[in-house]
Amino acid sequence: MIEAAALRKTYRDFPAVVGSTFEVDRGEIFGIVGPNGAGKTTTLKMIAGLVDPTAGAATVAGFDAADPEMRRSLGFLPEESPLYEDMTARSYLRFFADLYDVPAETATERIERNLDRLELDHRDRRLGDVSKGMKRKVAIVRSLVNDPDVLVYDEPASGLDPLTTNYVLEFVRELRDAGKTVLFSAHNLYHVESVCDRVAIMNHGEIVARGTVPEIREQYGTTEYRVFTSRPVPDADTEPDGDRHAVTVEDMSAVERIREQAAERGGEVVDIRTREPSLEEIFLDLAAETDGLRGKR
Amino acid sequence: MSDRSPATWLRSAVRRAGEAARSVGRIARWETRRSVGVLDRRTAILGVLALLVAGAVGGAALVGGGALDRDIYRVGVAPDSPYHDVVVEDPALTARAPDPNQLGRGTEVVIRDGRFYVADSAKARAALSTLRDAVGRQNLDRMGAEENTSAAFPVVVTLRYTDRGGETPTDGGGSNGDGDAVGGTSADGDDTDTAPSDGTTAEPSGGLDTDGATRDGPVGVPSLGAAGGLLGGGDSSGSPADISPPFPFASLVLAFLFFVPMNFVIQPYGSTILNERINHRGELLLVTPVSPSAIVAGKTLPYLGLLVSVTALITLAIGGGVTSVAAVAPVATLFLAATFVGAMFARSFKELTFVTVFVSVFLTSYAFVPAIFTNVTPIALISPLTLVVRDLQGVGVTAAEYCFSTGPFYVGSTVLFALGIGVYREEDMFTQRPVPLKFLDALNSRITRPRSVALLSAFSIPFVFIAELLAIAVLFVLPGTVSVPLLLVVVATVEEVAKSVHVYAAVRGPFTDRRTDEFALRLGALSGLGFFLGEKFTAVVQFVGLPDLELGRAAFVSVGDGPTLAIGVLLLLAPLVLHATTASVAALGARRGRYAYLAALVPAIGIHAAYNLVVVTAIA
Repeated sequence: MIEAAALRKTYRDFPAVVGSTFEVDRGEIFGIVGPNGAGKTTTLKMIAGLVDPTAGAATVAGFDAADPEMRRSLGFLPEESPLYEDMTARSYLRFFADLYDVPAETATERIERNLDRLELDHRDRRLGDVSKGMKRKVAIVRSLVNDPDVLVYDEPASGLDPLTTNYVLEFVRELRDAGKTVLFSAHNLYHVESVCDRVAIMNHGEIVARGTVPEIREQYGTTEYRVFTSRPVPDADTEPDGDRHAVTVEDMSAVERIREQAAERGGEVVDIRTREPSLEEIFLDLAAETDGLRGKR
Repeated sequence: MSDRSPATWLRSAVRRAGEAARSVGRIARWETRRSVGVLDRRTAILGVLALLVAGAVGGAALVGGGALDRDIYRVGVAPDSPYHDVVVEDPALTARAPDPNQLGRGTEVVIRDGRFYVADSAKARAALSTLRDAVGRQNLDRMGAEENTSAAFPVVVTLRYTDRGGETPTDGGGSNGDGDAVGGTSADGDDTDTAPSDGTTAEPSGGLDTDGATRDGPVGVPSLGAAGGLLGGGDSSGSPADISPPFPFASLVLAFLFFVPMNFVIQPYGSTILNERINHRGELLLVTPVSPSAIVAGKTLPYLGLLVSVTALITLAIGGGVTSVAAVAPVATLFLAATFVGAMFARSFKELTFVTVFVSVFLTSYAFVPAIFTNVTPIALISPLTLVVRDLQGVGVTAAEYCFSTGPFYVGSTVLFALGIGVYREEDMFTQRPVPLKFLDALNSRITRPRSVALLSAFSIPFVFIAELLAIAVLFVLPGTVSVPLLLVVVATVEEVAKSVHVYAAVRGPFTDRRTDEFALRLGALSGLGFFLGEKFTAVVQFVGLPDLELGRAAFVSVGDGPTLAIGVLLLLAPLVLHATTASVAALGARRGRYAYLAALVPAIGIHAAYNLVVVTAIA
């Protein structure tokens, strides 16, 4: 549903995005993660047709991103929720439905249904008078007024409290289950890990890793083994842990060596636990790596 | 497109146009609702009050009294006093009982036993002066009623407003240069019907009506100070001290009413545009299938519609015609266009306020000041307000005059909207850059290839036209020996800046990687060519006779006046060579940076001014 081919954006002499290439399949949630200034938002805006790429191309639902017709298939949620604060939620949403040529009855039904799903009250209160969480919900409903196939969400949970954040993330999952394709960015890696089917990690305008979270973990992360022995192993860096001794190693051959050394001293391995690296740890490693590379350049 | 038949293409074009029109209509409808929704009670009351004030002023002008100083001076005078009628008939005076005790309290002047008692105040002295004028007028009226007018008026002065040192168009010769001539036959004051006795007086100036009966102080019929009333054209006879130039005050005041709503409406309009740029609010409209131009059109339409409606109502109220509405509509459009661009460039509401005030002052001055000279010089036609004044005076307006007055406004509005829409996109709307840089961004948004530079040069012509006409209007009061050289420099400066500023933008923007001398020369030549072609637009001045003026000739040097074909061709090509050369000089500087550009403008202006001087001298 979404194809980005060597997308590049340069602002004067500053390369904001350097050759982003990825695809997002129908009914998939694809996350782009990275620190501030990594190029996530610029990438999303190029996909949404808001920013013209300096080079490369993007297609959405079969349309070129620059084609205004593409926008009929797209729901875009920017990082902030810049609503018209003098309008009520209902009038604001009807206004946008009108711009998408949605018939009035359909628009009303769709708007009310989505407002119900997000449990949004105060629908006739001025948007300037409602909370940030409610504004975010209205913004999400606005992205759905045209019933788009593709949703591009920039930091959908930005600035929200944990409860509302979980609500929004759950709603994104529901959208995926309803057949929508969702591309979203975040710098909270937990959100990405918990929601996304596939992920791309960006740093300094380029994608430094991509795949499913397990694939990335396998490719870029290191599984740690914490081995507990009944006796200390002298050559290993063991530390007491209650009546046991623990040592952390990074591969199974090392585990075997620990077991042999413990046996030589009349001991034994009493427990082995594995620990998978989090996406955040992988991301930090990759970021440090690319920063180092940039520093060397 | 090549595989589509014309019919298919046409259907597609019609469908797209229909969709665009529907989108514009939708945004306009919602913009209207929002605007009405955010209008708080206090703002609404202020708006109504402003309209009432405007209506009151218009009404006062309409009833013709226009005596804004009605009854402000109180004079104590007995009913049987010969001065009583004088006091009663003068609008500024009101009669009271001649009680000396009230002097300084209830009356400013007391007339008793043939003596005048005046309170010790500035107002009392003004009251006495007014009374003295009123008495003088009544004496004049009485003399005018005498059967033997020669005895009453042994000398008659007949005024003709004619060429001032050759700078106003006149068909008749023989003017003695100071605008007056002595006759000696008429005593009825209707000097337009009076033939001069000594033959030294020119006929009324050509191109301007002088029949006087239906208008305010027409040429040849001076309005006479207080005798004519504050707003009226006035009588046509009086003492020399009473004589003042023709001044269409009543029509001007009424025409000015059209500007009141404009100054109000651009405030919310500017705000609604800037609001879209605050906190990326407009970003969400940009991801809808509606194009930026449709968004802008939709947001502008309600305000333009409101202005046109109010204009029509004012026209109905003051007795104008379709000409007035047609003349004011492009002014309203330019007000909105300039405000739109300002709102697209401003970084804050504070800057927007500066922009809207500038737009108000500049456009109001540009329209109002020339209209004062409606009955004096065709330069007045640079303002559409002049068309309104003439409409109110019952004078017809030709199509050429309409085009001349309103053409720059229509084209200028289109160019301003095009520039603003050029930066109505995510990458430019939400950036906070100084206004000059935003202006360069707007120019760059229209530069996609080198020949775009030529197009922008051509489209700068309306602004060049407006600036040069304004310069004429400002300078024409100066003696020709001063105004003409000054104008030549002003014209050269305006044109050189207009030809080069977008070249500078181009080499600092889209062509930043092509900053060679060869490329700069190419851009300069293209800019010169575009300007040369666009300059032909100024041929419209031929329609209204502006070149008859010395200043007009200086500003809009025409070709083809040469005695031979060869010289004619040379004169035709010479401006092209000039524009290409000077634009190339500026372009060479522009490619080297800002200061080099400014430095290069100096020789470019110098060459241009020297050329103008040579041509004007040759034609003269």
